[in-house]
Amino acid sequence: MEMEVAELAVKRALELGATEAEAYVQRAKIIRVGGSEEIEDFNTVESLGIGLRVVLGRRIANYSTSILDEAEVEGAVTKAVKIARVSPEDPDWRHLNRRFGESQAQGYYDDSLEALDYQEVVEALELSLSLVRDYDQRVKPTRIFLTVGVTGVSIANSYGEGCERRETYVVASMRAKAKGGGLESTGSEYQQARSWREIDFEELAAKASSRAVKFLKARPIPGGRMPVIIRNRIFASILGVLLSGPINADWVQKGASPLSNRLGTQIASEDVHIIDDGVMEGGWGTRPFDDEGHPTQRTSVVEGGILQSFLYDNYTALKEGVESTGNAQRRGYWTTPQPSPSNLILRPGGVSFEEMVAETREGIYVEETIGEWLSNPVSGNLNATVTHGYLVKEGELTEPVKGVVISGNFYNLLKEGIELVGDDLEGSMNYYSPTVKIRQLTIAGK
Amino acid sequence: MLESLKSELEKALDRAVALGASYADIRFQRYDYELIEVENKALKSYSSRRLSGVGVRVVIEGGVGFASTSDLSQRGIGNALDNAVRAAKALGDRGRALKVGEVNESEVTLRVKTDPFDVSPEEKVSLALDANKAAWTGDEIKSVVTRLGLSKDYRLFISSEGGEVAVETPLVGLWHQTVARVNGVMEMVGDAESLCSGFEFLKSKDWNAFTADISRLAIEAAGSRTPPPGTYPAVVDPEVVGLMLHEAFGHASEGDYVYTGESVLSNRLGDQLASDLVTIIDEGVVEGGYFFPFDDEGVRKGRTVIVEKGVLKGYIHDRNSAHQFGVESTGNGRAQDFENIPVVRQTNYYMEPGDHGFEELVEDIDFGIYLRGRGSRGGQVSIGMGTFTFGVGPSKMIRKGELAETVRGVVISGLILETLKTIDAVGKDLKITTSVFGGCGKKNQMVRVGDGGPHIRVRRMTVGGR
Repeated sequence: MEMEVAELAVKRALELGATEAEAYVQRAKIIRVGGSEEIEDFNTVESLGIGLRVVLGRRIANYSTSILDEAEVEGAVTKAVKIARVSPEDPDWRHLNRRFGESQAQGYYDDSLEALDYQEVVEALELSLSLVRDYDQRVKPTRIFLTVGVTGVSIANSYGEGCERRETYVVASMRAKAKGGGLESTGSEYQQARSWREIDFEELAAKASSRAVKFLKARPIPGGRMPVIIRNRIFASILGVLLSGPINADWVQKGASPLSNRLGTQIASEDVHIIDDGVMEGGWGTRPFDDEGHPTQRTSVVEGGILQSFLYDNYTALKEGVESTGNAQRRGYWTTPQPSPSNLILRPGGVSFEEMVAETREGIYVEETIGEWLSNPVSGNLNATVTHGYLVKEGELTEPVKGVVISGNFYNLLKEGIELVGDDLEGSMNYYSPTVKIRQLTIAGK
Repeated sequence: MLESLKSELEKALDRAVALGASYADIRFQRYDYELIEVENKALKSYSSRRLSGVGVRVVIEGGVGFASTSDLSQRGIGNALDNAVRAAKALGDRGRALKVGEVNESEVTLRVKTDPFDVSPEEKVSLALDANKAAWTGDEIKSVVTRLGLSKDYRLFISSEGGEVAVETPLVGLWHQTVARVNGVMEMVGDAESLCSGFEFLKSKDWNAFTADISRLAIEAAGSRTPPPGTYPAVVDPEVVGLMLHEAFGHASEGDYVYTGESVLSNRLGDQLASDLVTIIDEGVVEGGYFFPFDDEGVRKGRTVIVEKGVLKGYIHDRNSAHQFGVESTGNGRAQDFENIPVVRQTNYYMEPGDHGFEELVEDIDFGIYLRGRGSRGGQVSIGMGTFTFGVGPSKMIRKGELAETVRGVVISGLILETLKTIDAVGKDLKITTSVFGGCGKKNQMVRVGDGGPHIRVRRMTVGGR
């Protein structure tokens, strides 16, 4: 039914004078279950909407609506054509995507999520909550959240070949709080997957609870410069905040990226390899084609420290006369496509976490942070507040640390700061990294 | 169309009761949004969005189920009701009980001169283009983006108790960001001004001066240094006061977090938590703020005193947290849209003004910092520990009682309950703002909020930087 609506919209737009048109229909079925000490909410959402891109020569307009009956689609197309007529010409416009097809992407859809039993969901979360309560007398759960999403996308454009895909997502998170000896602390953990069976609710509970208990005695430490080991998932998040903008071809073409003019040059040390992998099995950003219908692919972004490529959608690629890298993304049917990383991965090295700690005489291990997204991708200023960390002394994790701020410059860090790259790849949404050891960072402490 | 839909929704409420619901409510929403983006003197995109649908909430034997749909046909609404009933039954008696009581019947529409959706696309595009061009003030400017945002949010609430509230709120604004480069250093400064108003607000302001001033600030910041890390006496501007209060204190005063014990403010009612110069309010309708006369549970949002003269007086509640605390809802049950359930959210959260002039705040500081919000990058807090970290905008050092050089990359952090105690002077000005370009996120829901206050002086503020 969605493809029919999409094709109808394209057909009507052409009849109304559009030279090109694209329709993107998105259907989503989302289950959200959440609570604090107990499960409190069980919500389901069914949404359907259409995003239209209408082109008249080089004039472009976007329109979206959540109403999909024929009259509304007719009205939407009419309004979009009207907006396009008054839009100034975009001299860089060439044409909509003309290359369609599917990559070898695997593991982005789990059909068991289509008809998930509500009772089974409640039981899984109940188990997780009870494991937190039973972990230790001092700890209790304070927040639990589960989101299950099943989405369907249908794309039609005036160059033919409609594309359809279905995808699934699951995120589960738990926060626990510990109280004892007049002290309080929290511990959080989350898991993300593309299928239901990959979520381990027992592990989720165990990690959140143990972290909360361990951090009862956490304190800030005096500031200084010292080696810092950053947990895989935290470094992945930092990578996302600081690199996803600068490698976006749109930023580069606008002159907003500090990496403009750096293609082919050394921007990181030799053992830094970063890829954007749209076909990674079961990755958070894995899918067979992007939001313009272009097949996804693997793109080497940094190889041996040398900047190899930026990430392109159809518009930015044609503007530069290169091939799209299949990175067009719509954050929802109502937004316009933009280049965005699929799965951005810092390739693992060969050092285990234990080895990393063992060879550190003095430093800190950063396990959880807040505020890393305040870091500035343009200047490369990196800032994050460590809520959960450990002091490393003589090769061992010792006392827990909280409330210190790590800061430094991300580009300097990539170039000469990374001492060791771990072997334990982990994701934070669609950003992936192993644990890394940084030679030195500034710690603002007590 | 609305009348026939309303009777369809009323039928669904009756059916919910027939299926065993002790309480049910339905929210219908119709949301119109336009975003025009101009980048480097050219229109980048003009997107127009319409969203509508219903959310159905039912309480069955203590279990609360919720379902939404954008399908407004009789069948679509029926499906949503069935899903909500299934969800409520899966929860059993675990649900979040609701304080029912206040039943309102009201219809409020904020009066506008010109409906923003009646203005021609040409006029809107040319306003944004002109403002964007005005930001090219020199060779240092590398990239400029201007956005025009317009929205109209109509919400209808009906409940099985007979409540019926309809509110329509328009919100328009302009956002601008400049990237400048000076001596190889790049800096980005963005700022916006929004108002719950018709198109007349966008016509009444000199936006060219607004964007040129942001460019000036970006150049100034790119050519400045980061402050030496340390602890300083600080004068804090209304935007940073608003950000700090909303994020670090406001969230902690939300009844759901207080109830679970997650918040540093749990069990602190009646305690002196701030200097006695500090009074903090959450209020639904204030000048400059987001217009919010009723919440998404049909409760009137009036004025709620959170802190009076430094003493914690109350929390903000939705029907669920009100039930848990055995109090009345304060009208803070808010949902992002019809697809989400209402949770405890702030509306317009601000500090009341005091009696100091701006010069008086600055003149007693020998060496300190004037923290400014313009160009700030937001912040993050831990409500359990009361810690906060904010990236504020380009600021100024204070030397010998006077504003001195500009500094960039300023990050402040601290413990909110300590910071509020070290406030030793409160300005007599008051500025509250809202935004059509963003809002506040909680539990994956974004809602429009307002925040602000006067200028204040804080004796000790930890400032990071490089």
